[in-house]
Amino acid sequence: MTAVRALIDRLVDSDEAVTVDKRLHWDGEVTAVAAEAARTGGPGIVFADTPGELGLASGTLAATNGFRSQSPSTWSRLCAALDLESSSYRALLSTIATAAEAEPDRAPIEATVSVEPDLYNLGLPTLEPGGRPTVTLGVIAGKVDSEVTWAPIRGDVQRYDHLRLSVPKAFATRCAPKAEVVVALGVPPGAYFAAIERWTLDRPDAAVLPRAAGLTDVSVGTHGSILVPAESESLLAGNITSQVTQPEGPAAAWEQLCETESIDVSISTITTRPEPIVPIAPLGTPLADDVAITGLIEAARLFRRVNNYWGVAPMQWIQLPAEAGLGFCIVSSEILYAGFDWQLANALFSFSDLFDKVLILDEAADPSDLPRAIDNMWVKAHPANDWVFSGPNAPAPTAPEYRTDGEPGSELYINATWDVSWDEEYIAPRVTYENSYPENIRERVEKRWRDLELEDL
Amino acid sequence: MSTDSLRAYVDRLAAHGDLVQIDDPVSWNLEASALTMRLNEADGPIPLFRNADGAQLLGDPYRGSQCRPWDRIATGLGLSRELSRREYYEAVIDRLRNPVDPVTVDREDAPCKSVVETEEPDLLELPWPFIHAGDGGRYSNLHTMVAPDPDSEWVDWSYHRAMIHDSQSASVLLLAGEQTPNLYYYKYERREEPMPVAIVVGAEPAVQATSVMWIPTGRSEARYAGGLKGGPIELVECETNDLLVPASAELVIEGRIVPGARRDEGPFGDYFGYMHGPRRSMPALQVDAITHRPRPIIPYCVEGSGVGRTENTTSSMEAACVGPDATLGLRAAGYEVECCGPWQSTPRTVYTISTPTKSSERLHELANFIYTTWGMLHVDFFVFVDEDVDPLDQRAVLDALARHADPSEDFHQFGRENMPKVPLNIYQTPSEKGNIQTGTSKAKTAKAYIDATRDRSHASPEADHRALSRADAREILREAGVAVGESDPTRSNLSSTGDQT
Repeated sequence: MTAVRALIDRLVDSDEAVTVDKRLHWDGEVTAVAAEAARTGGPGIVFADTPGELGLASGTLAATNGFRSQSPSTWSRLCAALDLESSSYRALLSTIATAAEAEPDRAPIEATVSVEPDLYNLGLPTLEPGGRPTVTLGVIAGKVDSEVTWAPIRGDVQRYDHLRLSVPKAFATRCAPKAEVVVALGVPPGAYFAAIERWTLDRPDAAVLPRAAGLTDVSVGTHGSILVPAESESLLAGNITSQVTQPEGPAAAWEQLCETESIDVSISTITTRPEPIVPIAPLGTPLADDVAITGLIEAARLFRRVNNYWGVAPMQWIQLPAEAGLGFCIVSSEILYAGFDWQLANALFSFSDLFDKVLILDEAADPSDLPRAIDNMWVKAHPANDWVFSGPNAPAPTAPEYRTDGEPGSELYINATWDVSWDEEYIAPRVTYENSYPENIRERVEKRWRDLELEDL
Repeated sequence: MSTDSLRAYVDRLAAHGDLVQIDDPVSWNLEASALTMRLNEADGPIPLFRNADGAQLLGDPYRGSQCRPWDRIATGLGLSRELSRREYYEAVIDRLRNPVDPVTVDREDAPCKSVVETEEPDLLELPWPFIHAGDGGRYSNLHTMVAPDPDSEWVDWSYHRAMIHDSQSASVLLLAGEQTPNLYYYKYERREEPMPVAIVVGAEPAVQATSVMWIPTGRSEARYAGGLKGGPIELVECETNDLLVPASAELVIEGRIVPGARRDEGPFGDYFGYMHGPRRSMPALQVDAITHRPRPIIPYCVEGSGVGRTENTTSSMEAACVGPDATLGLRAAGYEVECCGPWQSTPRTVYTISTPTKSSERLHELANFIYTTWGMLHVDFFVFVDEDVDPLDQRAVLDALARHADPSEDFHQFGRENMPKVPLNIYQTPSEKGNIQTGTSKAKTAKAYIDATRDRSHASPEADHRALSRADAREILREAGVAVGESDPTRSNLSSTGDQT
């Protein structure tokens, strides 16, 4: 169920992905439409008519715009990607934070159709007309210390048989020179999640395959001497040739989580599944897939790490909303005692390099209601007392566009929780339907609702 | 063309399929408001309760749709409801730049004089709604208050809710720092004179829109309403004072806000989504006359429901009326402002201004200008963003705040408790709010602004070299059945914040 084509079918069936039938060229047009769909918080897109060997899709691993009410569920695509029954953010966070490792099943690889080994024939999208075809949302499989691992990639086509890829530096430095590698595109989402998660730890961990199998039922098969996700849509096999400067174009969001290095890969064979379909991300676009995935992985890592930090688990949930470009962290927590807000915010700053702004909400806050979360920042936090700035010596975060030279600066946390020292009577009740109207009134309204045939609203 | 009465606006809503009529009797006691809140949350039609104790109730009539909060107000003003945000703002600004003088009509030609009660006017004969279970009383909270400056010809139109106390008295929320409250506290009351007022309930849309705008002191609000309408507002004399009121109104309460008298006001489920307290004293209105149409329509706003994703009249009027007015006002004051718009999920507390200005000195000046004028009491935050960021696009503004506002140098005036605040907030304690005579909090607070414009060195170039324009890409998505949101097609080749593809 976690194969990417199964995910896409599921999204189409549930109206969370639509098909664009118009013929679009991979040279700029596909990315332009994918970017616009992402920016508007739209559904996943299946491009039905593009030239090249690979079919393309976008937004299949994205979250929707949490500020828009029409969204069926902000997180449902990502939940579907991990084959979760629930589409709630809490379930998603908990699954990624707590999934145990597992031995992956073995299966024959599906991408067995050989195609001409010319990368330009694949139909990979360029970001702009005349640009280089790009590779996103895939993994590179190779051996590190004689163990097969998968690492996230972002890159472009340099020549018909050469890719230039940005990979985690730890992966690049631990690969043997001229190492045999396989670039897998259209991989099961669990494989991609695990690759990012393991290689962006403070101490990168090559044990990606058991992590992927623990997240969801990823099976593996052998291609050459390399284990790859068996259900990958396309496999580009070859060897690392050199380590060079960075690929062109905007970086993928996961690259903000770790140091990266570039490698060139000479491609000798290309195989695909019949009618292959490969998800792509319009890099640099708000709400693109890579941003949502990276925010989710970092949030889960913080949830696991910080919530065990004090021997109790006061955090209800934590988010790095894609809407804020990963530069802003929202956490819902019990405030254990006066000053705990300061401890919590600074623990988060210590454990993540992405952001320098934290918003703390009460434990009752709803993770699916981003507008309310930000509303609380504006109305519950006292602008004189609850916007707390650190001294100027904090390290520069990686997600924002300022202080990119690494110059230190201040961090900010906003405490939008009720003051623990306040009397209960000081705490203003929220205006809600349930709080505002007694049960008998609500029953009358429900009857009118039916009588007026408003059920479809 | 603009609708010239609330009834004509209601008819237009019905023609658009935006109205649900309830003919069965409804109670003013929570029931009408409860259904209204449900409809607000569901982005449903506007409810007209045709049988409410001899009158009619209209719930949140100016609530816009959740993606396009200006659309129904555009309908009321005779503009296309399909206008983009930018087109709508510029259309309203154009109208405000061309005021139209009002005309005065005879009493017999004024619909609001169909029924005239001067001997024993009785507020309690009308179905003022009890809006939330925790409220201090029943309210008129969607009206235009007409009040004159005692020292000039200027008459202010404004929007101050009134809590009904008995047949002939109410308390009125007057917060010093706003125009009408200042007239009362610092002129009439100091002279121990009553302030004559008229509360115009169910005025035509252009009048209601004008009453929430900050028309500069001394200017004729009726002229600006005429500009918005695209034709003269018809005014008629009151029965018991010299004020002129919109003749097309559903109902007019004439009276005096008496000096030295206070009545309880609140608590109330307020615009920011919380039930604020404590109960406090506010100036007292003494009613002298009530005039109205037959079976008048009483509009009301279910405050507190226009927060988060949900719209109500207050939140939509912020976006559709205050925003364009503020944009025009700032431009007129000489500031380079592309747009000033509210944070859609949080009415009246935070505004975003898009500007080409990069000068920190100029932004400081701009913030101070706003905070010392119209933004003083309710607004706590301004966020400055680049001119290619739509202030009404919360995603884009949050992105700018997260990725362009450096806590080291772009957050200003936080922590300085030296500015005034209305007591309707929830972050001050009851003792900090106090109960001082002029209706402001006893304790001061901070008014802050955030510079979320890009640094000069990181100014993102416009992405105008795509294979497709954004408009073309959106058209392809539309053809595929995608509702592509509300970005402005006229700005289709401009990049959003962080959009570098």
